[in-house]
Amino acid sequence: MTEAAAHVLVVDDEPQILRGLKVVLRSAGFQVAQAATKREALDAIAVRPPDVIILDLVLPDGNGVEVCEEVRRWSTLPIIVLSAVGDEREKVRALDAGADDYVTKPFGTDELTARIRAVLRRRDTGDGADPLVRVGEVTIDVAARRVTRDGAEVHLTPIEFDLLRVLAVHRGKLVTHRRLLREVWGPGYGEETHYLRVHVAHIRRKLERDPARPEILLTDAGVGYRLAPEP
Amino acid sequence: MSSTRRRSAGRAVAAACEVVVTVALATALVAALDAVAPTSGLAVVYLLAVLTVAIRRGWPAALATAVVSVLAFNYFFIAPVHRLTIADRENVAALLVFLVVAVVVGRLAAAARDRAAEAEARARIAAQREDEAEMLAGIATLLLRGSSLDRQLDAIAARVARAVGAPVRLERSSAPASRADERSVPIPVSHGRLWAHLPRDAAPDEDVLGRVRHGLAAIVDIAAERERATARAAEADSAQRADIAKTAVLHAISHDLRSPLTAITTAAAGLGDERIDDADRAELVSVVRDESARLAQLVDDLLDLSRVQAGAVNPRVDWLDVNEVVGRAAAQVEAARVSIELPVDLPLVRADATQMERVFLNLLDNAVRFSPPGRPVRVTGGAASGQVTVRVIDEGPGVPLGQADAVFEPFYRGRRGSGPAGENGAGGGAGAGLGLAICRGFVEANGGRLLLQRPTGGHGAIFAVSLPAARPPAEPA
Repeated sequence: MTEAAAHVLVVDDEPQILRGLKVVLRSAGFQVAQAATKREALDAIAVRPPDVIILDLVLPDGNGVEVCEEVRRWSTLPIIVLSAVGDEREKVRALDAGADDYVTKPFGTDELTARIRAVLRRRDTGDGADPLVRVGEVTIDVAARRVTRDGAEVHLTPIEFDLLRVLAVHRGKLVTHRRLLREVWGPGYGEETHYLRVHVAHIRRKLERDPARPEILLTDAGVGYRLAPEP
Repeated sequence: MSSTRRRSAGRAVAAACEVVVTVALATALVAALDAVAPTSGLAVVYLLAVLTVAIRRGWPAALATAVVSVLAFNYFFIAPVHRLTIADRENVAALLVFLVVAVVVGRLAAAARDRAAEAEARARIAAQREDEAEMLAGIATLLLRGSSLDRQLDAIAARVARAVGAPVRLERSSAPASRADERSVPIPVSHGRLWAHLPRDAAPDEDVLGRVRHGLAAIVDIAAERERATARAAEADSAQRADIAKTAVLHAISHDLRSPLTAITTAAAGLGDERIDDADRAELVSVVRDESARLAQLVDDLLDLSRVQAGAVNPRVDWLDVNEVVGRAAAQVEAARVSIELPVDLPLVRADATQMERVFLNLLDNAVRFSPPGRPVRVTGGAASGQVTVRVIDEGPGVPLGQADAVFEPFYRGRRGSGPAGENGAGGGAGAGLGLAICRGFVEANGGRLLLQRPTGGHGAIFAVSLPAARPPAEPA
């Protein structure tokens, strides 16, 4: 499919933001629909499911987290939440509830359109479609459970590999702490972020050129991790 | 039997002994002189005895001496010897005259003695009063020297103790907290209560204590009043300074908010004009973009500052790898200029990831901005005594002496920048001087400390962030 046809639903109750976003997104080649409340948003999604939802976390009749939960019951359509400084708790809840990514207000329009294109690309290629993930000089063979760096095999512990695998399968996507812990350690986990800190540091020491400035395994402060997106 | 009565009885016995001994001595002297002088003339010797006792013991003892002397003289020297009868009438008259003379002499001498004793007592009292006055003056000096009453209580007690001759403990409280072996004497101050505690087994000079109580109370009252007045003045002073600071803050905020707004309004008006060319349009658009970013930064800072000041930082505490947080922050400044030299195996800490990233971003941004071009900003650190410390070290002009705390005040604008002021003043970078205030607020809300340290030798500044190291529960194997 072509990006020009992509249909974006913007859910925000602030008319001035809607005005600006409509112009910017149209000129970037998207079709834009709008909703100002949670009710309107859920109706619009049911009537004509968009390709991407841009979702403000604070709505007059509810909040964005509820919209995420509602939509995720029947759809995997990409959701990008808009959050403000100070909304970190809500943002993490929305991401845990299934939102794909976030941008922080006030955001640059370039940043927003880049995020939209990234979630559309992932939707089109499909998560985990490619068993061989190449990030810089590192290659991750998900099926064979092998990781090489500059052609040389890197030894990872099973936990380290599983962590890397979850991120590689969702390459470029932000994976929250809770989701990583559940997928790697099991359903009873979710708060043990110290496991993540320790193992991520180990993986970085094995894979990154400069572990202090990671280029492969990226941190999203207070939210989660992501594998560097395709260039 | 009271001790006073026991003491006066003791004195009476001593006086009686002295009377007997003196008369015996006089008798012995008369006996010795009897061989060389007519006996009747020697009665004078007994007058000496009366005089001596009168001077030493006063009137009643003198009278007793006179009587005993007459009896002794009669018994030992007047015929018939060794009897208390008198054969010769002439001797009766002589003895009577002698008795009268002895009584008169004794009386005069005793009166003289009493006057001398009285003068001596007066001198002693005067000296004592002088000591007391000196003590009170000393206490007044102590209190006038400016230190607080409560801190001087022990020194005052020591002086009082010297004056009354017994240990004294002073206490300011509504109810006396005396120990079981102490008694409490109230000092009659007019505000609050002051107590002097003395050991029960000590024998202080009660008179002195009684007098000193009032003088002490007067001095303490004055000192307390002075303390209250000083406190009121300080309060008024700090309120006034707070007012000035608030006004300055409002000026700074309104200036910092208005200038980007003005720039944006002007640029928007320019963009509405159809006659401008593409280069001008691009210029105006970049003005709008830059100034909006600056405004956004300022609004974020003001919000964060108000959260800090309202005590509503409310950190989302999580396990953090300081290396990771610093790395994230460093990636957002001129990365090539930051040299991260942290040990890789630092213990984890418990803090809010976003807030700590903000802190390090701010510190690194400042450090890069104030460092001379081409000089790196170093990030060092380590773990010691339960703390993980990260130091951001720059080689800029440093912070002037005496401003180590002022830099953490909101709206402090360092004169640190060596570059042209205009360059620092424009764009989002310079900020309104809120960065360090927010940093300190965030670090402290996360249980840590942010300090400005002075590099040993050389110039520049070191901002040190310390957070308590946390030991996470072990991971199941």
